[in-house]
Amino acid sequence: MSDNKDSNPKQKPPANQQPAQTAVLEPKKTSVGHATRRIDGPLKVTGKAVYTSDHNFPGMVYAVPVGATIANGKVTKIETAEAEKMPGVHAIYHRTNIGQLFRVAPDATFTAYTDEPRPPLEDDTVRYYGQYVALAVADTFEQAKAAADAVKVTYQEEKPNVSTKLTSDTKETVESHRGDPQKAFDSASIKLDETYTTQTQTHNVIELHATVAVFDGTKFTMYETTQGVVNHKNVLVQVLGVDPENLQVISKFLGSGFGSKITPWSHCALAGAAARNLNRPVKLVVSRKMSFQTVGHRPRTQQRVRLSAQPDGKLTSIQHDYLNSTSILDDYKENCGECTSYLYSTPNLKVTTALSRRNIGTPTSMRGPGAVPGLFATESAMDELAIKLKMDPVKFRIINEPTIDEGLNLPFASRHLIGCYKQGADLFGWDQRDPRIGSMKRDGLTLGWGTAGASWIAERFPAEVAVQLNNDGTVRVSSATQDIGTGTYTIFAQVVGDKLGIPIEKVEVVLGDTSLPAGPLSGGSMGIASIIPATSKAIEKAIDTLLTAAVKSPLSKYSGARKQELALTNGNVHKKDQLSKDGVPFEVIMKEVNLNKISGRGSSPGTFFGKKQSSVHSYGCHFVEVTWQEEIARLRVSRVVTVIDAGKIINPKTGRNQIEGAIVMGLGMALFEGTEYEPTRGAPINSNLADYILPVNADTPKMDVHFLEVPNTELNEYGARGIGEIGLAGLAPALANAVHHATGIRVRNLPIRIEELLGEKS
Amino acid sequence: MVHEAAVGANGKPRIAAGMPVTLKINKRQYSIEVDPRTSLLDCIRENLAITGTKKGCDHGQCGACTVIVNGRRINSCLSLALMHEGDEVTTVEGLGDPDHMHPLQEAFVECDAYQCGYCTSGQLMSAAALLTETCGHSDEDVREAMSGNICRCGAYANIVSAIQQARSKS
Repeated sequence: MSDNKDSNPKQKPPANQQPAQTAVLEPKKTSVGHATRRIDGPLKVTGKAVYTSDHNFPGMVYAVPVGATIANGKVTKIETAEAEKMPGVHAIYHRTNIGQLFRVAPDATFTAYTDEPRPPLEDDTVRYYGQYVALAVADTFEQAKAAADAVKVTYQEEKPNVSTKLTSDTKETVESHRGDPQKAFDSASIKLDETYTTQTQTHNVIELHATVAVFDGTKFTMYETTQGVVNHKNVLVQVLGVDPENLQVISKFLGSGFGSKITPWSHCALAGAAARNLNRPVKLVVSRKMSFQTVGHRPRTQQRVRLSAQPDGKLTSIQHDYLNSTSILDDYKENCGECTSYLYSTPNLKVTTALSRRNIGTPTSMRGPGAVPGLFATESAMDELAIKLKMDPVKFRIINEPTIDEGLNLPFASRHLIGCYKQGADLFGWDQRDPRIGSMKRDGLTLGWGTAGASWIAERFPAEVAVQLNNDGTVRVSSATQDIGTGTYTIFAQVVGDKLGIPIEKVEVVLGDTSLPAGPLSGGSMGIASIIPATSKAIEKAIDTLLTAAVKSPLSKYSGARKQELALTNGNVHKKDQLSKDGVPFEVIMKEVNLNKISGRGSSPGTFFGKKQSSVHSYGCHFVEVTWQEEIARLRVSRVVTVIDAGKIINPKTGRNQIEGAIVMGLGMALFEGTEYEPTRGAPINSNLADYILPVNADTPKMDVHFLEVPNTELNEYGARGIGEIGLAGLAPALANAVHHATGIRVRNLPIRIEELLGEKS
Repeated sequence: MVHEAAVGANGKPRIAAGMPVTLKINKRQYSIEVDPRTSLLDCIRENLAITGTKKGCDHGQCGACTVIVNGRRINSCLSLALMHEGDEVTTVEGLGDPDHMHPLQEAFVECDAYQCGYCTSGQLMSAAALLTETCGHSDEDVREAMSGNICRCGAYANIVSAIQQARSKS
């Protein structure tokens, strides 16, 4: 598209060739773009990767929280005498004896952010089932669990509101508005007005949330499972009321997060307070059941979508009005309208939002927050309208492809959604699709083919990175960010390897510790885009120091040369008019001048809050095939073709894995997952992994994932954008659209249940 | 009141009403006293501080705690430590270490058969047992046999590739 500002490799050499420094052109060794094995892989497959609850310390005790067994009301009495007498019990804490815990100040910058600013045990009001009301601490886990079960809590219970029918409890906010959509809608002959819902989803990361808190009388060391060690620390110093130098957060490995570990939850403060009170290390592991109550979820959404179009398929209006449930105290918004204003061209559009309060724990981001449930509604609606238009759904989308971001009135930095559709349709064989319901058969099964588009933000968080050249030829790169399973350790090594032209085996990556330079959150698919510029700057500084030392020291081969004449290529310091192989390895220079280490530190700003010059997003599409056996009501997903436009892929091996994993999660969202709240008591009743159904290996369809790989250097020099979330966006509607094609039944409420497919065709 | 360490470096927890048991884990013998309520999983992780085996649900629903006992894979969270007197228990640490990886571990790294790595120990122990079980040759057979181990990151396709790669070499 003419408005795109993609970097064109034919006109401009790729950034990694460093033309300014290299007068003699030679091939440069690069680790970027290679399907590299994870550098932390051997630790992960041998049980040597240490996760939070793997930490054991001398004198450590175990904490088990007591959760409220009502969802609305007050604690009137807590009887602890029996529990306190039990073997091994150190303490039973509750509101009056745990010591003061503080709220977290409002923060909109994601540097000291929490979705639930109320500290645990602040008052006696219970606002959701499972809210912590006490904490048992004992020598062993078994003793602590028995003691927690023996605490008698008396409540004054009121009827909770956990209704799935959402109505607005807050003022409606207009998020985007152009033209007069209602007028256009009213006058249109082809239109659609439907409401879609998505059920509450619990992240269900397999690593249970946990904290191991160590207190030495002054300083806390908190072993946490967090997607943001820096943010985590900045929250906990407030909650525990300590100075920043007295609290360190460590998270070397975590069993993923999917958003549930972006911000600290109340158990972290409980563990910290108990460690301080007892002056002992405390291990607190949140049970699977509790993790349905107290560590966030994707809230329920209810979205009304109104679309109108001309007979030629051109959209004349889009209206997207959505509600999501939130907790009693917190205003968590599931940003369902995120993609609506820019995904399609239309002169008339309005997006509105409001919240619906429920006696349910605080919601939080879950993979692709907003866009993922939002696209279920809008991309289902697009499919429905295409059917009304008797038009192919891919063609319908292409007709409505915008040339600029009409929501922001800005050019797209890079948008290749049509390219995704064309490649995806080709790989899938979409031209063979017979649009008639239930018309396609294979091996006695009815096939359903559906498609939907995807989009996700592309931004950067502020980041600081330190690089250290060692005189043994290794390089250490460090940052207080973390690898949640996306491959950050490996990507760091690849970027450093590329910049210095050394094998990644020589790069040591140190992450997950707040004593390191402040790195980004692992959230919003922004980690990799964020660290690349800071890493580049850190390396530039280290190289500059190296070259300065090389020319200044009389001991060096390049003593007396001009620094500008030298470069570092393929790991070697050399004169720019020579090939790198005629130079000497950087560690030889360092040894010559007797330097043990050379450090460089780089930082780069975030992109969230500045004035935008262009609309930067990733795009993609899914083509899904389901098989349907009406006689026995058996629905299976047989294959998925996904094409992603997310710029340069630094590591295709880990990158493809991200998208495949998102497809599997999307299948769960579409077909299985939903947290059910029992209406009279408000408890999440399917709070275990047998009743909250997650996709298993046997559910996996054949997956074919492709990346367009059009680099755009708006965010960083490689043109890499994040890929953690985009793969989930659009999968559920593509699947629902395929189900409609097979069965004739339009399911507008996720998850799609078999019983709905036994109903009348719609 | 002051108590001794719940988990000491010597692996001997201070507990009330403990009962003696001798466990053989990864060919090493451990004679300890355990609280009768202690699951095999908690005993391995907390009492003996062998932490490669993970807890994901404590209900036998996720498979993260899978270990091999006398040649069979089991969910170690569903079994009490005291029931395993004299049994041969193998955990992921018994498969191999980073410098001497088992072919399955090697294949998992090569195929990127994980993301976060938390369910990986259980996946590997299930896969190791599968190698000795009656299991068909197809990917579908492997998928079915591996469906007791949840990977929330969804690396299922790569897990199947890794197992098939290791099977083809063995």
